[in-house]
Amino acid sequence: MFDKNYLEKVREEKEKWEKLYESLKERDVKFVTDSEIPIKNLYTPLDIKDKDYVSDISFPGVPPYTRGVYPSMYRGRLWTMRLFSGHGTPEETNKRWKFLYENGETGFSAAVDALTFNGIDPTNKDAAAEVGTSGVPLYCIDSLFALTEDIPIDKISVALVVEPFTTAPVCSMYFNMAQMRGYDIKQLMGTTQNDILTMTVGYIPYKNSPPNHILRLACDFIEWTVAQKNVPKWHPINFTGYNYREGGIDAVQELGFVFASACSHIDNLIERGWKADDFVGRLAFHLSAHKDFFEEIAKFRAARRIWYKLMKDKYEVKDPRNLGFRFHVQTAGSSLTAQSPKINIVRTAIQALEANLGGCQSLHTNSYDEAICLPSEEAVLVALRTQQVISDETKIHNTIDPFAGSYFIEWLTDEVEDRVWKYIDKIQKAGTIDKALSSGFLYKEMRDAFHKRRMRLESGDEIMLGINKYPVPYDTVTDVFRTNKEAINIEVRRIEKLKARRDNAKLEKILDKLRNVCEKEENVMPTVMEATKEGATVGEVCNIYREIWGTWDPPLAI
Amino acid sequence: MSEKKIRVLMSKPGIDGHWRGGIVVSRAIRDAGMELIFGGFQNVEQIVESAIQEDVDVIGLSIHSGAHFAYTQQIIDLLKERGVLDNFMILLGGIVPAQDFSKLKEMGVANIYGPGSMTRDIIEFIRENVKR
Repeated sequence: MFDKNYLEKVREEKEKWEKLYESLKERDVKFVTDSEIPIKNLYTPLDIKDKDYVSDISFPGVPPYTRGVYPSMYRGRLWTMRLFSGHGTPEETNKRWKFLYENGETGFSAAVDALTFNGIDPTNKDAAAEVGTSGVPLYCIDSLFALTEDIPIDKISVALVVEPFTTAPVCSMYFNMAQMRGYDIKQLMGTTQNDILTMTVGYIPYKNSPPNHILRLACDFIEWTVAQKNVPKWHPINFTGYNYREGGIDAVQELGFVFASACSHIDNLIERGWKADDFVGRLAFHLSAHKDFFEEIAKFRAARRIWYKLMKDKYEVKDPRNLGFRFHVQTAGSSLTAQSPKINIVRTAIQALEANLGGCQSLHTNSYDEAICLPSEEAVLVALRTQQVISDETKIHNTIDPFAGSYFIEWLTDEVEDRVWKYIDKIQKAGTIDKALSSGFLYKEMRDAFHKRRMRLESGDEIMLGINKYPVPYDTVTDVFRTNKEAINIEVRRIEKLKARRDNAKLEKILDKLRNVCEKEENVMPTVMEATKEGATVGEVCNIYREIWGTWDPPLAI
Repeated sequence: MSEKKIRVLMSKPGIDGHWRGGIVVSRAIRDAGMELIFGGFQNVEQIVESAIQEDVDVIGLSIHSGAHFAYTQQIIDLLKERGVLDNFMILLGGIVPAQDFSKLKEMGVANIYGPGSMTRDIIEFIRENVKR
């Protein structure tokens, strides 16, 4: 990008400056990123001398999309403010959603409880204590009606954060509910997380089926919604690097995990006879905005370029609309502390800024009580207002991708990209993503990462204020938000009412058909749509998966 | 003090999949030279059965779902019913508000470790307080 003679001049001047620098003492800290990329004291034109602006950086909405996925970015439309939210019962969650909507939220996201996540009904006594404690219980179609009552789901997009094992039952309930309300599901906008790695290495699954079946279930949903155009505007999967990043891996590994996983899904659908262009334009991503300010911005920029190259070179995607890497961001829950919780507001604001400066399409900001309970109304409002301070008061979005051209950011974007390609290779050597799980490879990667991080915290190499520097006693927010203790009774009654109403003989026939579909390993979606419309619960559908495919204990590494 | 290694059961009551804390502490227990019995997901009966069968000194519970009172009470009740409550030190780790500590201790939990706890403090507490 620079004239050769000019670069020579820069080199000479830099040598002089280095002499000045040599005589000075540096502080005794490691100058590395969170991914342990060594960082120089200064970046100059010399660090990006081989870059070509047009081919490597280019323009927003134009390959290789380094500067953004749309030509106008936030000058055209702001990111979606979407707070992941759910607790107690669907009715209480509906109330929280309306509260957020009235305060300016622009997208919804359902956080479900552990039973919905694992496909367990509340009648299971080993799980009953967890009804509604960590998210909203969505066990049957009636729950979906209650969740979305008086909410304009034809105008505002909804993210259903469920994973492949329960994607079909929960999402089919949502689609059936929408149809019964008179909406055309071909127009419905939203996202299903549907991410195999969330429910295997992010969280540990409880009595789910083995990974090869989980991968197939994830792909069934992509095929039925988008490739077969039943719900063509839906995002059928959200590769959620955020969840495993929270488990301790670094920024490079986060992208490695999501891209390796995405390739396995694309390959599966191509084996089914589809072309990449039939569905890749609806694949979405969910990344973390963590502690290292510049590395995260570089990561978002690198991710767009890597995805573009993967789509164009590996999958020979033709339609330019299918080349863009669209992503939601969540600020890093694991960076927050229960000690001095108000400091979390500052941490979250900085991380939100990373996401916006990195060009995200949608953003969740954590509440300051994140480390100790589900968010209180006061805390969640501060989280939403944090995004609104950025959008309405800072003017950061006057211009697109303002960090482009920074010697450091461009260098770091390249460096992250190079390391991610190498890490994708390493994962792919372990096989498709289901094999990398069942062999234990990914569990070992996770273990090594979080022990390393833990050691860094215990040794003080990584600082967390309130924990290992300026420690304060374990002191919590004044008001700890508690979920509704009656939720278990409310949800058991909801299911009893449904069971009394439904045609059990008709449902039994549909469930038998589902057994047959599972045995033949055909796409489960059409039959699960029928089953939940007739009143099947999430547990009833998942129990058929368990019956036909068995359950799986992951090869955890300690 | 006997030469027998301290034996610790690490268990995850319920179905919530937040496991990292339990695994990190498990590794620390093993690295400290104690005997780790990794129970994984266990229901209340399985936890009590494992503790008795494995003759452990410590029952470590990892609970991040907010259901810490329910599970801890059920486990303590069953240990009492079996007449073995006094044989074990019960430790709890996870997302537990500090306001809940005193009630949990009254119920019979020896100590509770919330977010931001250091594994070395857990090891030290076990060494100093284990019932031998």
